[in-house]
Amino acid sequence: MICTGCSCLCEDIEIQDSKILNACEKGYKHISRFKESKAKNRVYGKEVDLDKAIESAVEILKSAKSPAIYGLDTTTVEAQRIAVKIAEKLNGYIDDNSSFCLGEFVEAILRKKIPSATLDEVRDYAYVLVYWGTNPYHSIPRHMSKFTYYPRGKKRNRGYDEDRFLVVIDVRRSETAKLAKKNAKFIKVEDDLELVDSFERALEGKAPKYDVAEIAREMKKADFNAIFGGLGLKYGLRGNYEKFFSFLNKANKFAPLYFIPAGFHSNMRGFNETLFEEVGEVNKFSFIEKRSDPNFSFPELLKNKKIDVALIVGTDPMSSLPFDVSEKLYEIKKVVLDPRETFTAKNAEVSISSAFSGIECGGEMVRSDGVRVKLEPIEKAEIDDVYILRRILEGL
Amino acid sequence: MPLTPMEIYKLLPKTNCKKCGEQTCMSFAFKLLNREKKLEDCKPLFEEKKYEVQLKKLREILKPLEKATETGLIVKSELCNGCGNCIVACPVHVEKDPHGAGIGRGPRIRDPIYRIENGKLVIVNMHLCRRYGKNRILCVVCRENCPTDAISFLEG
Repeated sequence: MICTGCSCLCEDIEIQDSKILNACEKGYKHISRFKESKAKNRVYGKEVDLDKAIESAVEILKSAKSPAIYGLDTTTVEAQRIAVKIAEKLNGYIDDNSSFCLGEFVEAILRKKIPSATLDEVRDYAYVLVYWGTNPYHSIPRHMSKFTYYPRGKKRNRGYDEDRFLVVIDVRRSETAKLAKKNAKFIKVEDDLELVDSFERALEGKAPKYDVAEIAREMKKADFNAIFGGLGLKYGLRGNYEKFFSFLNKANKFAPLYFIPAGFHSNMRGFNETLFEEVGEVNKFSFIEKRSDPNFSFPELLKNKKIDVALIVGTDPMSSLPFDVSEKLYEIKKVVLDPRETFTAKNAEVSISSAFSGIECGGEMVRSDGVRVKLEPIEKAEIDDVYILRRILEGL
Repeated sequence: MPLTPMEIYKLLPKTNCKKCGEQTCMSFAFKLLNREKKLEDCKPLFEEKKYEVQLKKLREILKPLEKATETGLIVKSELCNGCGNCIVACPVHVEKDPHGAGIGRGPRIRDPIYRIENGKLVIVNMHLCRRYGKNRILCVVCRENCPTDAISFLEG
């Protein structure tokens, strides 16, 4: 089966004698606990059947003046397409976690502003691997062993200590940084913008502030290098994405350098791609104004009290968003679609129980590098996100 | 703390009495660590009362030996998160399973050395390890690539 625990979407998970093989701890917990604390169909705290719950959800959405759809990062591409249609029908906002996650990088890749590659190409050809502001040990445990540093590829078949050069950039010596031993480098970064500057200078042959001359030399040796950027890089750039993008393009004049975002929900990139296909933007989109704006991100909409109803699919904003944002959720009406009894689902006006994508229902998801993966569920649930969202759309 | 033959030797009688069949107490210490000899083979240690304290200490420091496999490997599964670095980096896996563990997938051979079961590292077949058998070498590739030091060997 395919694990949907993180954006790696590992396809080699096996179940033998009730043991889950090859999945990391994160994946194991995701797969093995799908039956625990299941959500119930509820309307204003009362347990009801599915039809009644969907009916009430449609009523609330119909009566909304300014609705928003939020979440969708752990569901399938098929469900995301219907959700976009619902947002269009309602003339509302649509957003997912990527507005405060790695949405900007995915957008730049989709608009072809920066060069990107697939993880299979990385395994076969990449030499210098830079983990910038990310700790795959926690967020994407099998990233290094499955795709990047350790596996042997077509052109890189002599193993990690000869055929790869690992660079870890972080604010502290993380677990991943401990692996940077021979043929590797760890850079303790204080200012990401200065580090970008240093890389530029080192590639041009000038003296850099950070000690990156060796990395630049190694990059020039190879015909394929890759940067895996995480949230540390995004927030370290402090909004100056263009500077980073222009560095990537400049670096490509000296040595091929590709960028792949690393570490997010299983199908966040899928949402970005789906919305990009439909409306030409990746997130925080308003169907009234037909444009994307930082003010249309879900936390901003809540803060500025711009919405009165939220359709929340497969996420738990009451637990995950900061308190000054999440407390505003009490002031609006919430329709929650989730297989799990989350804090948000408990407090929602309407809560509809759904199925786990990839475990109980199939579909398509997009890996962090843009490769589309067909899910192989182990059970077959009749009621999943696609079914519920389609019925809501029909009701509208 | 890694266990060394010297630490064991310091607690032995150091009389080179040869009752264990070894020429010196130092060589007995080595064999004790390799688990070719047992502590009970050192007769004076048990017969004479003056070694009582030393015997107690020896039993204490030799405790990790019971947990370790035949190659001296100890896996602390509470530290492991199943990243699989050890499985893919292992030179034996690369040789025997080039299209499975060699390219980052889960092992496809029937008896790999390691496997991830339920999110934790499990030792399946120690006999494949390069540290096992007559022509063994002191390979530490899996330990070197564990980000949380969940893998350790008796010698450190």
